[in-house]
Amino acid sequence: MPDGAVSLESILCTEELPNRPWRPPDHEKENSALVALTSALADSPRTILQTLADKVLEILHADSAGLSLLTKDEKRFYWAAIAGAWRPHIGGGTPRDFGPCGDVLDHNIPMLFTHWERRYPYLSTAMPLADEGLLVPFYVNGKAVGTIWAIAHNNRRKFDAEDLRLLESMSRFASAAYQAVKSIEDLKLEIAAREKAETELSELNDGLEAQVRVRTEELEQRNKQLADARARLAEEKLRLERSEAYMAEAQRLSHTGSWHLNVRTGELVWSQEFFAILGFDSEKTKPSYPLFLERIHPEDRSKFDQVRSAAIREKKDYEVEYRLLLPGGLTKYVHGIGHCSASQSADIEYIAAAMDITERKRAQEELRRSEAFLAEGQHLSRTGSFSWRVATDEITWSEQLYRIFGFDRGVPVTLELIGTRIHPEDLSAFEEQIERSRQDGSDVQLEFRLQMPDHSLKYLHTVAHGTRDQNGRLEYIGAVQDVTERRLSEEALSKVRSELAHVARVTSLGVLTASIAHEVNQPLSGIITNANTCLRMLAADPPNIDGARETARRTIRDGNRASEVITRLRGLFSKKDPTIESVDLNEATREVIVLSLSKLQGERVSLRTELADDLPLVTGDRVQLQQVILNLLQNASDAMSAVDGRPRTLLIKTERDERDHVLLTMQDAGVGFEPQNQDRLFEAFYSSKSGGMGIGLSVSRSIIEAHHGRLWAAPNDGPGATFAFSIPCRSECRTGAHSLGAIQTPAVTGGVQHVTRNL
Amino acid sequence: MVIRSLVAVIDDDESVRESLPDLLRELGFAVQAFSTAEEFLASDYIGQTRCLILDIAMPGMSGPDLQRELTLRRQEIPVVFITAHGDETVRPRLLEQGAVECLSKPFSDAALLRALNAAFRVS
Repeated sequence: MPDGAVSLESILCTEELPNRPWRPPDHEKENSALVALTSALADSPRTILQTLADKVLEILHADSAGLSLLTKDEKRFYWAAIAGAWRPHIGGGTPRDFGPCGDVLDHNIPMLFTHWERRYPYLSTAMPLADEGLLVPFYVNGKAVGTIWAIAHNNRRKFDAEDLRLLESMSRFASAAYQAVKSIEDLKLEIAAREKAETELSELNDGLEAQVRVRTEELEQRNKQLADARARLAEEKLRLERSEAYMAEAQRLSHTGSWHLNVRTGELVWSQEFFAILGFDSEKTKPSYPLFLERIHPEDRSKFDQVRSAAIREKKDYEVEYRLLLPGGLTKYVHGIGHCSASQSADIEYIAAAMDITERKRAQEELRRSEAFLAEGQHLSRTGSFSWRVATDEITWSEQLYRIFGFDRGVPVTLELIGTRIHPEDLSAFEEQIERSRQDGSDVQLEFRLQMPDHSLKYLHTVAHGTRDQNGRLEYIGAVQDVTERRLSEEALSKVRSELAHVARVTSLGVLTASIAHEVNQPLSGIITNANTCLRMLAADPPNIDGARETARRTIRDGNRASEVITRLRGLFSKKDPTIESVDLNEATREVIVLSLSKLQGERVSLRTELADDLPLVTGDRVQLQQVILNLLQNASDAMSAVDGRPRTLLIKTERDERDHVLLTMQDAGVGFEPQNQDRLFEAFYSSKSGGMGIGLSVSRSIIEAHHGRLWAAPNDGPGATFAFSIPCRSECRTGAHSLGAIQTPAVTGGVQHVTRNL
Repeated sequence: MVIRSLVAVIDDDESVRESLPDLLRELGFAVQAFSTAEEFLASDYIGQTRCLILDIAMPGMSGPDLQRELTLRRQEIPVVFITAHGDETVRPRLLEQGAVECLSKPFSDAALLRALNAAFRVS
């Protein structure tokens, strides 16, 4: 016992209880409390001790109430349940041998304490301090196990005998409650112990399981990795196989074999296709360099070996073309590429490809040959070819075309450069053609001359076809032929022909004359002979009258015969009656142009036509009208033959004039005529031409006038003259036929022959 | 009786065959006319004929052809050619080849007589 502590007696006032004012017992309240406790015990035994404390507080009107239980080791009391002000102190307690609870159990009686902290100082820390504390023991199976108590923290409340009675009643219940709780607690303890054991076991187990699980997972992971790796390997293998298959296929398709050489180990691998190219069976042949070398064409063998050996020595790549000579004599061309690679083990390795380029070589050879043929063909035919991209003026020439123009091969060709070679007189026509082609992309046919540096002339004939690519860009592709020789021989031929024509005409006139003479001389001969005979018979003595009469009769007969001969001759050389029909003057004009085209080109006349679309038909003799057109065309062409230094342009135009006439005009750029001679032009036998007879225009005018039309001529404002005729588009057939017949004679005597010569 | 010399006229033209024999008879000759050279060769008159008046151009055998044929047969008969073609280039050639004369139709009786005289002078 600590020093200074007061005695037990000094803190007890239990004896006062009977002396304190009495009050009647409140059984009803007690009962209701006990019923509540009982039902609480049934409903919630775990909290019964707290419910008990609550009820004590309530019934005794105490400030705090609680329950102290002896611990198992019986060394302490612990406060199992507290209600009221001390509730925070639950779980606290007091020693068994030094405290109020111990005092109560030691004496085994209820006790009323006042300010117990005076004896038990540790209770001074349990605030608020207890003014009075009433404790009663409670028993289980006759053994005191704890106390039940109520506290008043100030002197407002003084416990009395009734409080004691109620507390004792509650303590009896408390014993039942304790037993219930104890059994529960024991059970709980047991359960807890078992649970603990189980927990430990389960923990142990869990640990094991966890370990097993971890290991299992690790194993599974491993397995999965293995499986993945295997799958990847399989995939890789498949891919490899596939890519090998692709490679083999690609090699087969591209005729490319490959080989692989480890220089140090001498390990040599050939691809399937390489076997095939060399003509070896991959099943039966072991790759070796000598075997390969054996297949190389003897002429290429040392070259290949040198290239390959040098490359290996210098650890360099190489590229070489060589031939194979296979058994059976087949030659193959091969393009070989070797790539040197130093592997990680520092071994020198070669990977090489050998492409069978036989077909390419053959195609190249054929291309070269056909190019040579083409070049030779161009050379022989003196024909060059070109292409002209119009938008960019990009011009490409064949070799022959350079030769024709006399430019050095490879000189960039421009239109300007071409222009420097073209004969000045043809330049404007050429430029016009270029502009026209730029515009419409139509096909080109053009003749022009070149003036070469040595002043010689070349005649070129150009044909070009315009095409458009996908983007609509125009490109001309064409050929240029040097027709100089042909042109010159044509000119020579034409000269010969015209001489021949002249000779023929003279000859035929002679033949005609002779034939006429023969036909006429025969009867004349008879006539004269008969007349001589007749004279002689009459002069005889006696005169032979009968004989004279007979010969005179024969004379008359032969005279008639001679006359018949003349009639027959006229019939033989006379023209048929004119044919009257509807004539499309445009069509007739086009026919004449077609007939004259080569002549016009030969005379370098640039012809332009403007033929009206809606031209009405005319009535007349188509052939006669064509003779007129031809004659005008011929005159225009002749008038320009001496013209140099300006384009020889000829415009032929048809149109309908306001008086329902069809008008044809022909405008030339020729020498023209003097205005004072205008009327004389149409006179027969007047000609401004050296070789002309002056018949054509006079006949032409007759023909046109027979068609009720008019033919006239006028000088141009500029150089040249314009000839024109107009005829009614609805001429009356009958009078037309009649008057056409009337021009028969002039057409026969001069015009026809003149026009025929032009044809 | 004077024996008239026989003159043969060969011409395809009928009016000549009609008129010329009459004139020759008036001139005092005996005359036989033939329309072709072949007809004359086939006749019996070749040996008697003292002079031939021969047309140059005839169908079949021409005048010069007949002349050559007679030369081959060694029948030297003087020939006077007549022709309606009036070609002056023919005459010298024919004369060169042995013709007595070549007359262009129509010809006068004087010209004919001159030619005949020449022919008989030759023979």
